[in-house]
Amino acid sequence: MNTARILLWSPCVRCLAPFARTTRLQAVLSTGGLAHRGLGLSSSGVQVHRAFHVSSRHDKKQDLPSFVKESEKDGDKDKSLVVHDDLFERTGREAKNKGTFNKAVDVFNKRDVRRRGHVDFIYAALRKMPEFGVERDLAVYNKVLDVFPKEVFVPRNYIQRMFNHYPRQQECAVQVLEQMENYGVMPDEETRVLLFQIFGEKGHPVRKYQRILYWFPKFKHANPFPVPHQLPEDPMDLARFSLTRIAGDLDSKVTVYQMPYTDITEAGEEVEETHIVGIQSPDQQSLLAKHNPNKPVFVEGPYPLWLRKTCVYYYVLKADPVPPEEKVEEYIDPELVGPQQSIHYPLWVEMDLTRDMGDDFSFDVDEVDEGAIYGMCMAGRGDQITLSRWIAGLQETNPILGRIPTVFRLESGPQELQDLTEGQRPTGEDTEAEHRTEPDTEEEQQQMGGQRMKQ
Amino acid sequence: MSLNRIFVLSNSLKVGRRLIRPGVGQTGKEVLSHLQLQRSFKTNSRNLAYAKDLFLGKVNTAEVFPYPEIANEELEEINQLVAPVEKFFTEDVDSKRIDHEAKIPPETLNGLKELGLFGIQIPEEYGGLGLSNTMYARLGEITTLDGSIAVTLAAHQAIGLKGILIAGSDEQKEKYLPKLATGEHVAAFCLTEPGSGSDAASIQTKATLTEDGKHYLLNGSKIWISNGGFADIMTVFARTEVVDQDGQKKDKISAFIVERAFGGITSGKPEDKLGIRGSNTCEVTFEDTKVPVENVIGEVGGGFKVAMNILNSGRFSMGSAGAGMIKKLIGLTAEYASTRKQFNKKLTDFGMIQEKFAIMAMNAFVMESMAYLTAGMMDRPGLPDCSLEAAMVKVFSSEGGWVCCSEALQVLGGLGYTKNYPYERYLRDCRILLIFEGTNEILRMYIALTGMQYAGKILTGKIKELKKGNVGAVFDILGTKLRQSFGRPQDLGLTGKDGVVHPSLTASTKKFEENVVYFGSTVENLLYRYGKTIVDEQLVLKRVADVLINLYAMTAVLSRASRSITIGLKNHDHEVLLANTFCSDVYFKNNFMMSQLQRNSPENNDADIKKIAQQVLENRAYICSHPLERTF
Repeated sequence: MNTARILLWSPCVRCLAPFARTTRLQAVLSTGGLAHRGLGLSSSGVQVHRAFHVSSRHDKKQDLPSFVKESEKDGDKDKSLVVHDDLFERTGREAKNKGTFNKAVDVFNKRDVRRRGHVDFIYAALRKMPEFGVERDLAVYNKVLDVFPKEVFVPRNYIQRMFNHYPRQQECAVQVLEQMENYGVMPDEETRVLLFQIFGEKGHPVRKYQRILYWFPKFKHANPFPVPHQLPEDPMDLARFSLTRIAGDLDSKVTVYQMPYTDITEAGEEVEETHIVGIQSPDQQSLLAKHNPNKPVFVEGPYPLWLRKTCVYYYVLKADPVPPEEKVEEYIDPELVGPQQSIHYPLWVEMDLTRDMGDDFSFDVDEVDEGAIYGMCMAGRGDQITLSRWIAGLQETNPILGRIPTVFRLESGPQELQDLTEGQRPTGEDTEAEHRTEPDTEEEQQQMGGQRMKQ
Repeated sequence: MSLNRIFVLSNSLKVGRRLIRPGVGQTGKEVLSHLQLQRSFKTNSRNLAYAKDLFLGKVNTAEVFPYPEIANEELEEINQLVAPVEKFFTEDVDSKRIDHEAKIPPETLNGLKELGLFGIQIPEEYGGLGLSNTMYARLGEITTLDGSIAVTLAAHQAIGLKGILIAGSDEQKEKYLPKLATGEHVAAFCLTEPGSGSDAASIQTKATLTEDGKHYLLNGSKIWISNGGFADIMTVFARTEVVDQDGQKKDKISAFIVERAFGGITSGKPEDKLGIRGSNTCEVTFEDTKVPVENVIGEVGGGFKVAMNILNSGRFSMGSAGAGMIKKLIGLTAEYASTRKQFNKKLTDFGMIQEKFAIMAMNAFVMESMAYLTAGMMDRPGLPDCSLEAAMVKVFSSEGGWVCCSEALQVLGGLGYTKNYPYERYLRDCRILLIFEGTNEILRMYIALTGMQYAGKILTGKIKELKKGNVGAVFDILGTKLRQSFGRPQDLGLTGKDGVVHPSLTASTKKFEENVVYFGSTVENLLYRYGKTIVDEQLVLKRVADVLINLYAMTAVLSRASRSITIGLKNHDHEVLLANTFCSDVYFKNNFMMSQLQRNSPENNDADIKKIAQQVLENRAYICSHPLERTF
């Protein structure tokens, strides 16, 4: 009981310490029996390597891990990281990959039997992982954890077990696990064995490991629409994947309206034509067939779709909502569905009774009429010429499109797929100019600019 | 259930009390109107077919008691007919070969024609046998011994030429029936289309009038046409443009007699089927087939009614057919089970084997009873509407037939699974019964909804009063409830001194009566709860149909066994035993199903069942993870 309370206390103290380090607090700490705090020790916070068994606690002030945001105000810490960063930079000069990363770790391991400065090294390694592209590699995490010296941090008696034994090391290991968690890397048996060897059975890192192991499997399939880590490279495949993802109808069919190719014009210029991939479901086809040909259909876009860190853009073919007065009730011959039929059992019964309130479990849903969407496409370029090729392709399966005026409502949009990491923003398309070249079509321009596409 | 009901009632009572306060005169009037309503029920319920009345919790004894009989002369005639047919089927028909070669040999077909089996119901003046429905059913028992032949014959006369028979003009009958009766011409029934199974509204085949107004040009294609490969005369359903009373042009369905000789008809390759392999089923395509105007059956635009009547009248014989098949199977299987020994015991000594025979005998008995009861009802003078009963016979016998075939096969174990024995063929053949002439699902909907519609018409007033909280209506119901719960068990007058049922069946009859009354109140409850939205409650309707089918089956066996014991037929005690067993078996099933139909019934899983189906269908796959999957 007493132990538990003290354990409860210690984190509170830790969070209070930076704000109110009053004498009273010190008094509480000292009266609380925490006599052997290593107050004077390692106050620099740079070389945290204290002699073993000297202390299980040290001053909170210096306990903050060096990678934490405050690091900029603490020049010393940075210095140490820079040393280790250099190690990575040096080894990774030729190529930054798993091999060179492992090499850097090996170099550090061999440098000193005592692994002096391993905590800082591990923080540096964690920071460098994405750069080397190993942030999702379990083996690398295990290797990083392996840098910790074994057995020395395992508490040997109940007092050590009670108080945060080697907090900085534990914190560091927790940080490794934290990064694994953030990248969705599931620790394995080897991780567990390592943590056991380093921190013993009940250390904070082991707890963290157990928590990850508890929650990760539960949430592994929480997303019913998972996006793979590795997206297809080919823009056509990517378009196919994204379109089926949006469409949400298992019947819808993806059609490639144009393959990318290079054409040489009469003037001798090379014109690169991009891919056009579209999707349409049978339902959309039949809806489009029923469209009133006097009303225009609109090609709208580009709309963004995010797939992890990639953003792709798509265009839709849609109509305005049908005003209520123009809705046509579909005629059903009462003879064919009436109550006395047997070929087709009656679709309704003539009765003056409605559902009883006690059995009416329907919700009151406010339905907002939206214009029907007849199809979607993705193209390498979002200009009107490219998109009108899509419409022309659609016309083959939907002959009615030949009679319906098509209006392009395009915002100046991106041309290419974007990658967040590259941070490039596509140049806006001057659709307006192109619209003017075609006076026949009705024009409608929404001058929203490319701002909406902001990442 | 009753708790629920009482709650509703007490609610309405409160409202009723509120109604009383303003003026007593008003309530008096309401009671009066209610009384009038009640009187009108009674006039309505006369002259109606039997099954619909069950929805009101009434038993129309006059319709089903006593069990229909045929005259002695007719009996002699049918026995004379049956003997040669039976001989032909046992000696001359090689079912194994028909199944293997997927073709009925011409000599077999000729034999059938000579026996007159192609014109069983065609009147004698047109060269047919002119038999009644009852006798047709009797012959059906034998023709079913070979599924392929039964289907070929049924496609010819139960549906193929039935249109001419029931709705054709005299000229049409004179022109076509004689040749059809001799089998010189074979008929087929062309309704189903690629895009229209039982949905007649989506028929796409079109018949357009030529400019001279003398012909129709028929265009379109029909699928799964039995006898489609060689039929000479076809009843074809197609859309025609009809001008209705308002002067608007509408597409309506018309029936045509189409001769192959008209030209433009092509038949596809015969389908390779699971069962009834000897029957010819194929696609038939019409391309500008010229059909004379006088070949329209009935009137132009009246084809839907024709189709409906044909199908409704053709179904009843399936009961006797199923029974015929099971009777044969019982014979074959019993022979085997009595000779085979295991552990020094005959197979027949094992309880589980015995049970199978009991099930088969009971099913055959019930099917027979239902089929001949329905046939007898249809043979009565006038035009009784027996479509509901016929549909029930079809559903019950097709499912019973399937179960019995499978049980018979099971008795033989591995042997039954081989082609050395006919069981696997019977099993394959009888599978079609659940599918054709309206799938059992559709027929269940038809059965339940037709009855619900009928009950709704009569009960609407009462339920509305109840919902409004009319004191009179409430007291009336409370009174019956009280009488039911405290008084003697439901008595509909079937037993006792003036009863129609033999005393040895009293216990079963009581059960039947109790079921009927409970069913009546269940239907009322369902109407109260769902009103016209009952159409969307397919799982509810399925149970309603099942209960009704069981009730009709109970009626049939009670009626038949009563007659047998009364006139002292051979082995009538066995019939009584079968009837009693069946009734008590079904009584509990009915009670269970009806308790599932009550509000908030714990036995009812419908909501969850729908949810499961929804989740599976959303993904169009079985979505559970494999049991060997891991996440870490």
